[in-house]
Amino acid sequence: MLHSVLIAVVKPQRFLLGKSAALIAKWRGVKVTEQRKIANGFMFSGPWIIGFVIFVVGPALYSLFLSFTSAKIGDPIQWIGLANYRTLLIGHSTEAQGLNQAMLNSFYYAIIGVPLQIIAALGMAMLLNRELPLIRGFRTIFYLPVILAGGPALLLAWRYMLTSNGGFVNIILRKFADSFFLFGFLYKLMIYLVESFDGFFTGLTRGDPVGPFAYTIPAAIGLLTLLTLFRGGWSESKRSRALRVLELVILITVYSLAFKGLVSDPIDLSWTYFGCGLALVFIIINAAQGKKSLVRLWQVGALIFVIAGIVLTLLSSGFTFTGNTTAYLTAMIVGGFPLVVSLFGNWTRRKYLTLGALLVILAIILFVRLVPGQLDGGQVSLLVRYPTLQSTIKSPADLDPTKATDKDFLKNDYVDYLKNGYNKDNFSPLWIWGLVAVILGGIVALNNRFPKARQALIYGGLAFFLLFTIGSFRDGQAYFQTYSDTGKAAGSPVYHFALFRTASATFPTDDRRPLWMESELWSKPALIIITVWSSGAGMLIFLAALKGVPPQLYEAAEVDGANRLQRFISITLPMISPAIFYNVIIGVIAALQTFDTIYIMVNNPGGNLITDQIQSAAYFLFARTFQQGQIGEGAAISWILAVIILTATVLQFRYSNWVNYEA
Amino acid sequence: MTTATTTLSEAQTKPSLRIRSAMGGLKTTLIYAVMGLLSLFFLFPLVWMIGTSLKTITEITPPQFNLLPVVPQFQNYAKLLSQEAFYQAYTNSIFIATIVLLGTVFSISLVAYAFSRLEWKGRGIVFALMMGTLLLPSQATLVPQYALFFNLGWLQTFNPITLPGFFGGGAALIFLLRQFMLTLPKELDEAAVMDGATPLEIWWYIIMPLSRPAIATVTVFLFVGQWNNLLLPSIYLQRSQLFPMPLFIVFKNNSNVTPVPWQDIMAASVLFVIPLLVVFILTQRYFVQSIAMTGSKG
Repeated sequence: MLHSVLIAVVKPQRFLLGKSAALIAKWRGVKVTEQRKIANGFMFSGPWIIGFVIFVVGPALYSLFLSFTSAKIGDPIQWIGLANYRTLLIGHSTEAQGLNQAMLNSFYYAIIGVPLQIIAALGMAMLLNRELPLIRGFRTIFYLPVILAGGPALLLAWRYMLTSNGGFVNIILRKFADSFFLFGFLYKLMIYLVESFDGFFTGLTRGDPVGPFAYTIPAAIGLLTLLTLFRGGWSESKRSRALRVLELVILITVYSLAFKGLVSDPIDLSWTYFGCGLALVFIIINAAQGKKSLVRLWQVGALIFVIAGIVLTLLSSGFTFTGNTTAYLTAMIVGGFPLVVSLFGNWTRRKYLTLGALLVILAIILFVRLVPGQLDGGQVSLLVRYPTLQSTIKSPADLDPTKATDKDFLKNDYVDYLKNGYNKDNFSPLWIWGLVAVILGGIVALNNRFPKARQALIYGGLAFFLLFTIGSFRDGQAYFQTYSDTGKAAGSPVYHFALFRTASATFPTDDRRPLWMESELWSKPALIIITVWSSGAGMLIFLAALKGVPPQLYEAAEVDGANRLQRFISITLPMISPAIFYNVIIGVIAALQTFDTIYIMVNNPGGNLITDQIQSAAYFLFARTFQQGQIGEGAAISWILAVIILTATVLQFRYSNWVNYEA
Repeated sequence: MTTATTTLSEAQTKPSLRIRSAMGGLKTTLIYAVMGLLSLFFLFPLVWMIGTSLKTITEITPPQFNLLPVVPQFQNYAKLLSQEAFYQAYTNSIFIATIVLLGTVFSISLVAYAFSRLEWKGRGIVFALMMGTLLLPSQATLVPQYALFFNLGWLQTFNPITLPGFFGGGAALIFLLRQFMLTLPKELDEAAVMDGATPLEIWWYIIMPLSRPAIATVTVFLFVGQWNNLLLPSIYLQRSQLFPMPLFIVFKNNSNVTPVPWQDIMAASVLFVIPLLVVFILTQRYFVQSIAMTGSKG
C-alpha cells in the first residue's frame, strides 16, 4: 500500500525531470543504457533539484532584484538602483550605523567567541579521550547543551540565571569573591578588564572616529611583514609569505573600494584608479611568475571592475556629461589603458609593457594629486610628518588666526572638526594600504636578478613603516586624548569613547557586579558564555579526530624524551588540524548568523538591553526586514552578508595551509 | 559519585607497580573531579530551570535565594495545563515536526540514494552544486522566500515551514545519509538488478531498511532542529493560535510585569524540553557517532 503511494508521488517527477534529462541525453547521442541511468539519477535527485530551483536559485535571483528596489510590505515595487546599498554602506544614516554595529558585533562573537569555543571543545575532548568507566555518560552530558541551546527554553534559563540582581551567576560570583581576598581582587580585575574592553569596542561600533590610528593599522601590518622578511637570505617561502599578505591587503582595499567607492553617488572615480592600479600590480607579479591563469583572472576581474565603475557612473543620478567628463575620461585611461596593454605581446614583453603603462599612469596621478603645496599641510604631508614624528593634530592654542587656513579652521567648531573633518582633510587610510601593497608587490616581483633593489626596498620599507607606525600611533593617542577631553569638557554624556574612558579610569569598588542583561558592556560576554556552554558539537569532532591519531607516534615521541606539552604541540595539534579547521569555519559562520540567543535576550521580560549593542548581522537583517517591513533593504543586507560570509569562508580555505590532511 | 568510580577504576588497575598505580589513581580521581565539575556547569541550567519551575513567586523574589524549592510546588504546571493556548501550541509543534520529518526523510533518502548508489552522468556536477549550497548563507534566500510565500497567500499557515522539507531539506543531512549509503556493499544492488528489480524497488526494499541507523540519526537531527526552530515561525506565524511552543514560551510572558514570573516561564520551558531530552537520551549513541563521522570527513 505505502509502496504504491510512493510510486504515485515519484512517478510524476520521473516524467518531469527524468524524461527531460533522458531526452536531452538522446539528443546529444548518448547510448540507451546510459540514457536510462541518467533518467534514474535525475529522477531520484529530483526532489533536491526542484527544491534547489524553487527555494534557492529562484529566491536568490529574486532577492538580488529586490535589493535594487524600494520594496516594502504593502507598497508597489519600485526600481531605485543602488540606493539601498548606498544607505547601508556609506554616509551616516541610521541604517548604515546599524549595519556597521551589527557587523562589528558579529566579528566580536567570531573573534572572541570562536577561539574560546574551540579551546573549550578541545579541552573537553582531551579529557574524554581515554578509557575509563562512565566516560560515555560524561560525553552525553557534555553534548547535551547543544541539543538544548538551539531552542528558547534553556536560553531563557540562562537569561534568568544571568539576571544582575538575584541571578544565580552573580550570587555565585559574589560568594566566590567574598571567600578569599585574592578572589575578590580577581573578581574586580575581571570586571575592570571586561568593562574597559567592551567600552572600547562599544565606542568603535558606535562609529566614534579613531583618527590617526586608522593609519597605524596598515603601517603596522607592513612593518610586521617586512620584519619577517629582512633577515637572512631570500627564499621561496619568504616570497610566498609576502604574496599572501599582499593578497590580503589587496583584498581589503578592493573590498573597501568596491563597497564604499562603487556605491557612492556619483561614483568616486579615484577609487576606480586605485582598484585598477592594485589589479595591475597583481597582473605584473603573476606574469613575472608565469602564472597565466591567475593573470587572466585578474585581467577579467579588473576589466569588470572598470566597466562596472564606468557604467554605474553613467547611470548614477548625479552624473552630468559636462561636469564629470574629465574624471570619466581619466578613469577610462587610468584603468583601461594599462589593462588593455597587458593583454598584448608575449609574456616577457607583456610584463614590461604593463609595468611601463602603469608607471606612466602613476606619474599622472601623482602629478594631479600632489600639486605644489601639498607637502606643506596638504594631504600628502602625512607621508612626511609621521616618519619625522611630528603631529598633524592641531590644538586650538597652536593656531594662528592671521593665516588663511587656520582662520578657516577656527571658524568651525573644534570638536566638529575632529569628528567630521579629520578624514576629509587628511587622505584616506586606503592610500597607506595601497603603499603596503606597492612595496610588497615590488619585493615579490623583483626576481633574483635584482637582489640589491629588493634588499633596498625591504630596508626602505622597514624604516618607513617603523617610523610611520610610531608617528601615527603617537598622533592617534594625542587625537584620542584631545577629542575625549574636549567632549568631556563640553559636558556631553556620549563623548568620544565615553564608556571606555569611564570604565578604565577607576578600578571597580567592592560593590560592583556584572550587569549581564542591563549593560551594553556585558551583553556580549553573556552571549559568549552561553555559546561556550554549548560547544559540545565541536567536542565530538575533536574526539573523533583524537581517536584517529596513531598511538605509535606518542610512544616514539616519549622514547625520544618529548614532554607532554611538546607531544601536544608537535603531534596532537598537527594531527587534528583538519578538525580544528572544520570547527573554525563552522564557528565563524555560526557567529555571523547568531540569532536565537539574541532574539531571546532582546525580546524578553525584565531586560532593557539596547538591541544595537548586541544584535548580530543576521538579527539586524531579521529586524529590518520582518519587523520594520523594509523588504528591499533587507534583500540588500542579505546580499552584503552573503558576500561577507562567503569571503570569510573562502579566505579560511585559502589560508588553510596549516591544515595537515596527510593523517 | 566521584569516590565510587575511583574505587572501581582502582580495582581494575594491576597492583604490580604500586607507586605508579597510586599516581594513576590520583590522576583518575582528578580527572573525575574535573569532569564532575564540568558536568555541573553543563547540567546546571537544566537543574535551575526545573528547580525554579517548582518554586512560588515569593521564593524567587530577589533577597530570597534557594537552589532548590523548599517544598516543591506543582501549581505552576497546573496553571499551565489549564490553558488552552498551551495545548494549542504543543499540538502545533507536534504537527509541524511530524510533517517536516515525514517529508524531509522521504525526500532526502531518495536524493542520497541517487548520489550514492546510482551512477549517472551529471552526478558529480549536481553533487558539487549541492555541497556548494552549504556555503550559501540561509539569509540570502530568506527575504525572497518570504515574498514567494506572501504572494502564494501562505503567511499565517504552516506551509512555509513544512513544505520546503519535501524538496530535499538540507544539504548537510543529504551528505550524512549519502556517506552512510556509500558504505553498503555494491553487490546488493547488482544482485537485485539481476533479479530484475527497478531502482525504485532497490531503494525501498534494500537500501532503506539497511540505512535505518543513519535515517534514525537524520530524523533526530531534524526533530531537534524543528522542535527548537524559532526563526521561521517568528517570520511566518503571527497569530497566537498558530504559535508553536518556542513562540508560545517567548511571547507568553513578553509583558513588562515586575517581578518577572520566572516560575511560569520555567514550567513551560520544562514541558517544552522533555521531548528533546527523551529523544536525545534514547538515540544519543547513534547521534554522537554520526556527527563524529561527518566531522572527520569535513
